[in-house]
Amino acid sequence: MKIIVDRQRCDGNGVCMGIAPEVFDVDDDLYLHVAENIPEDPELRARVRQSVTSCPILALKLVED
Amino acid sequence: MGGMRQRIVVAGGSLAGHSAVTELVGLVPEAEIVWVTGEQHRTYSKPALSKEFMQARNELSELMLPDIGGDLSNLRIVRRSCASLDTANRTVTLDDGEKIAFDQLLIATGAQARMPGMLRGVGGVFPLRTLDDAVAIRESLAGRPKVLVVGGGLIGCELAASMRTLGLEVTLVERLDTLLDRPFGGAFGSYFLDLHRANGVDLVMDAMVERVSLNDGRVAAVELADGAKIETQLVVVGAGSEPCTQWLEGSGLIVADGVVCDSYLATSMPGIFAAGDVARWTNPIYDLQMRVEHWTNASAQGRAAARNLAASATGRQELRKPFADVPYFWSDQYGQKIQMVGWHQGHDRVELDRSADAPGPLARFYRDGRMIAAAGVNVPRIVMRLRRQIEEEARAQEAA
Repeated sequence: MKIIVDRQRCDGNGVCMGIAPEVFDVDDDLYLHVAENIPEDPELRARVRQSVTSCPILALKLVED
Repeated sequence: MGGMRQRIVVAGGSLAGHSAVTELVGLVPEAEIVWVTGEQHRTYSKPALSKEFMQARNELSELMLPDIGGDLSNLRIVRRSCASLDTANRTVTLDDGEKIAFDQLLIATGAQARMPGMLRGVGGVFPLRTLDDAVAIRESLAGRPKVLVVGGGLIGCELAASMRTLGLEVTLVERLDTLLDRPFGGAFGSYFLDLHRANGVDLVMDAMVERVSLNDGRVAAVELADGAKIETQLVVVGAGSEPCTQWLEGSGLIVADGVVCDSYLATSMPGIFAAGDVARWTNPIYDLQMRVEHWTNASAQGRAAARNLAASATGRQELRKPFADVPYFWSDQYGQKIQMVGWHQGHDRVELDRSADAPGPLARFYRDGRMIAAAGVNVPRIVMRLRRQIEEEARAQEAA
């Protein structure tokens, strides 16, 4: 599982960080950091998928393994 | 329904419905899922309507949520509005008279914009709730109108900021003497007033629109309660919203400013659940009934209601879970990232934090010594940390 961030779009509103803080982190310059390796935990992965569909500006794309 | 396939109806095509359907197609593949939506569009992003879309920074196709993935052979989409609910016969009647029987129902019909009577049906006057509203407003910006914004809430302030960003002349009329009073609990005092004034919005506070003057059926000016007249060619109205529950009248379902649900998002009738802007549920984090009209809530709540519904449909009790959530929303105005976490209603103390080198103010709301909410400008890490802190403290208190 890999996350691709559309940097043109991402505005750092942090919705993803609210749902899966283990994977997403918005810094105070509103820049989104995404974890390189996402653990194989099904519960966490379900939340990561939810983060992707919850992004209000659709800046996240998910590539499944 | 011995041997027959169960049918689950999801009513509502916005995010809560989308998120519920996404969950249900995978969780209950043996059931037939009928998704009823009055929208003629695919599910789209609503937060972008007043911001990126209004500023023409993105286009219509960019607002659409990705397709629901996986095997969709058990899903049927019906593009009609719900007209009524019969809980005795377990049927939903659509606006064309068709009746759809259900075993389980998930109500996610959202909320609609409130429109003051004297502004209804007037040319050049628009609410902002749907994509069609946003398209209509955007189209009328071509003539570079002088814009009047009615209401200093989230929609009003975001629209004012977007219109100013486009270089239009903007007047905002608000009946209170503060902006964003309800969403931010008045914590930031004059911060929002200064922000909008500095960006050139003509703020008219403590004022109400009393009359509309027309020219050829279109708005030409509005008159305020004190007699002042403001010329305008475009009026955008952010006067709040109300839950879409008219179709539930007479159904026997308990409705009180939203469909009343327990902490599992179950309504007063068995097998009927609700989620999103239309649902008033008991949030275990606060042990309070609340109705939250924000994007992240619709997403998480749609998913949670779907899981609880699936538990009731299949008997798989491991899916059943109360929906305990610290609400979150944000706003963008003139590039400022304004965020709110928690539920500030009923606070008895606000702590304002404004150090000289901080990018913006930060406020913490307390009730009986416990932090219940926090808001900040351009400090997402701190705000999100406080969101987790509020949740952890609530769980610790529950366990104690």
